Amino acid sequence: MAALALAACGGGATSTTGAAGPTGGSTGGSTGATGGNAVANAGVTGIANPSDHKGGTLTFASSSTPDSLDGGNEYYAWTLNFNRLYQTPLLTYKSSPGGAGTTMVPGIATALGQVSPDGLTWTYHIKKGLKYEDGSAVTAGDVKYAVERTYDRGVLANGPSYFPQLLADPTYKGPYKDPNGDLTSIVVPDPYTIQFHLLAPFPDFDYVVGAFGQTAPVPKAKDTGAKYELHPMSTGPYMFQSYQVNKQAVLVKNPNWTQNEDTEARQNVDKVILTLNVNADDIDNRLISGDLDVDSAGSGVQAAARAKVLGNPSLLKNSDNGFGNREWFIYLDSKVAPLTNVACRQAIEYAANKTDLQTAYGGPVAGGDIASTLLLPGMGGYSAFDLYNAKSQPGGDVANAKKALTTCGKANGFTTGLAYRSDRPKEVAGAQALQQALKAVGINVQLHGYPAGNYYGNFAGAPTFMHKNNIGIAFGGWAPDWPDGYGMLWALTSGNSIVPTGNANIGELNDPAVNKLFKDVASPKLTLDQRSAMYGQVDKLSMQQAVILPEVYAKVLIYRPPTVTNAYIDNAWGMYNYAVLGKSS
Amino acid sequence: MAGGTFIAFLVVVSIIGPYFVQDPTVYHSSLIDPTFSRPIGPWGGISLAHPFGVEPITGRDMLARIVDGAPYSLLIGFLSTVLAVVIGVFFGIIAGYFGGWTDSVIARAMDVFLAFPLLVFAIALVGVIPNSAFGMSGNQLRVALLVFVIGFFAWPYMGRIIRGQVLSLREREFVDAARSIGARGPYILFRELLPNLVGPILVYATLFIPTNILFEAALDYLGVGLIPPTPSWGQMLSSAVSNGFYYIDPMFMIIPGLAIFITVMAFNLFGDGLRDAFDPRTR
Repeated sequence: MAALALAACGGGATSTTGAAGPTGGSTGGSTGATGGNAVANAGVTGIANPSDHKGGTLTFASSSTPDSLDGGNEYYAWTLNFNRLYQTPLLTYKSSPGGAGTTMVPGIATALGQVSPDGLTWTYHIKKGLKYEDGSAVTAGDVKYAVERTYDRGVLANGPSYFPQLLADPTYKGPYKDPNGDLTSIVVPDPYTIQFHLLAPFPDFDYVVGAFGQTAPVPKAKDTGAKYELHPMSTGPYMFQSYQVNKQAVLVKNPNWTQNEDTEARQNVDKVILTLNVNADDIDNRLISGDLDVDSAGSGVQAAARAKVLGNPSLLKNSDNGFGNREWFIYLDSKVAPLTNVACRQAIEYAANKTDLQTAYGGPVAGGDIASTLLLPGMGGYSAFDLYNAKSQPGGDVANAKKALTTCGKANGFTTGLAYRSDRPKEVAGAQALQQALKAVGINVQLHGYPAGNYYGNFAGAPTFMHKNNIGIAFGGWAPDWPDGYGMLWALTSGNSIVPTGNANIGELNDPAVNKLFKDVASPKLTLDQRSAMYGQVDKLSMQQAVILPEVYAKVLIYRPPTVTNAYIDNAWGMYNYAVLGKSS
Repeated sequence: MAGGTFIAFLVVVSIIGPYFVQDPTVYHSSLIDPTFSRPIGPWGGISLAHPFGVEPITGRDMLARIVDGAPYSLLIGFLSTVLAVVIGVFFGIIAGYFGGWTDSVIARAMDVFLAFPLLVFAIALVGVIPNSAFGMSGNQLRVALLVFVIGFFAWPYMGRIIRGQVLSLREREFVDAARSIGARGPYILFRELLPNLVGPILVYATLFIPTNILFEAALDYLGVGLIPPTPSWGQMLSSAVSNGFYYIDPMFMIIPGLAIFITVMAFNLFGDGLRDAFDPRTR
């Protein structure tokens, strides 16, 4: 019965977690709604086992390998999160539960960026007296070098490309190919000041600087390019002792680190061990037996462990079922007939059985709550509108679907293709669920499974492939690059984000009103609330155009051994904040 | 003959069974506990309406999925065996009878095929072939591909056996007798030797079919099998193991596993029986 109560309060907890906007405020803290067990979800409504206890070894395990351990070459949420243990960018997320955890605060910088009145120049000052692990001084030139090296995609292939997009001289080739060149759009007037010159105003530039590891300083003399990840020079509480690729990384305390270097991280344990390529079910078993502290992927336990944890009250109290910082959804490609007609797309929105889709992704506990918007609850501009009755008729609204089909001239239905990732069981299940639901209104869907590795590169993310093969529907999902409307919506709905490969605007939305909103929101004269309202409008317009069928606001069910301290699900990452964890013994 | 009876039963079920069971694609979400994604009730949700229970997540009727999956397993197992037998017998006879240079070339070819990384090739082939080719599409194309991959690479097993049989047969008196009345190669091969090989061919073919059924199940496991929502025994088994359902709903693994096991066992028994029937010593 605890399981059913948890399922019921899983919905309740969501409305309090992250319900505050990015401007701060804490969660409602409704610890009472945990089915009679006051300690379960302790890391959702607050901090679980808060403690300053020092000492011990913190163990992480991953079922695969990281994209990189070099801050300048990372894009996965878990590696960026883990990176905070040994590298500190100019700015960083505030370490706090609730909405406050999505704001930027100073890292090695003294304050947030100072922006010029025309919005084109951003200035940061570096704290004085900061050192690397070997005692050498951190200077602004190292930050400039760190950004410069990310320009060479041949050496550092991962990571976002906001800097080449936003700064002047996008043709700079990076220090490896152009050792005598210089990224002129970054100026270092003195060793403790750095200035970025933008091509156009970009109000979210603090996030570009702080949400990733690209501005964590790198001393040029110690840079070994692609090999730098074997031992990055630490500016965080821990430093590398060893790293055997594909096997294990061991970190120990950095003696030259001071709390001032990064107010948001902690040096609570003596040693951190990250073991790679461990079987996922094995990871869950070790967590439950207490032999492992954290599953580094942060996406929650597998199905077998989920049953164990939810069915056993003594395990349940060590689990957290909270915000996953991601939405799973289905794209509807507006350039593939007959989905070129918005009413045909709306028919699909109405007809889908949202409950079956939710069950395919793991149900309300392990999957998430049924979604009806593109913005995640808690983001600025979010409002809980529901254009297609996803919440009022979660089994599907067949009547309205049929009406929409008549409007688009296909009263007897039509046929189209559906793309999904065949090695993702949730999408395999979801594809069949959608196929079944659409059959009821006469829409015949032919399933095409593709491997996840090439899905965005060659298949769903290649518009010509979708057109040629008559595939109008594609499964996908999105975790925002940073937790606001831009980070969530731009790549999905802006006409300027459509690219021939690696496309995330698979709905191919190119709506003049939406494009204008994205252009206007960059004005330096707007306040945060005004920008949030504009993102809210983008959300509504995109949903009216029905280019995306939302499925669930992802939730994660994470289990932690009781010896882990300071654990809370961080709204910036959708998993525990790794920079503050400790051990009680 | 228990094996033979069961095989006949299986064939009958494959042909007419799908008309008697429910629609295997219909979801019964009300029978699924959404928190755990598993069927409500013990034994995988067995009830009068669903004698084999229901599938996790979807609530689809298991009896219907097993019955609908049977023709695919049998068809692919049978056709791939036919392909392997035809190619294997042809090359086996030629290699065994002519010997010398011909034999060496064919034997080396067999070695190459046996050493080929078949699973990797199957995955690659399925990924490369487009959705419609050779005038077929969808599941039809997929079945053809599976039959080709499994059968085309299994011929050396039959080839070696036949080659060995022919090596011993060609020294027999009836071959000399045929040669002495002026018969040449092709006549001897196909009118004298082949009839004497029917026994071993039949026996080994019936032993091949279960191996190929298992192989198709393995390919389903790797995701290169039939296209969902087509039910397939191997795909159900793989889903049960890789998604952890074996822990929360063991029946979902036991039922397709039993189906595969009983089918394979039946073919094995049938093949053993055939071999006993053809063995001159027990006649």
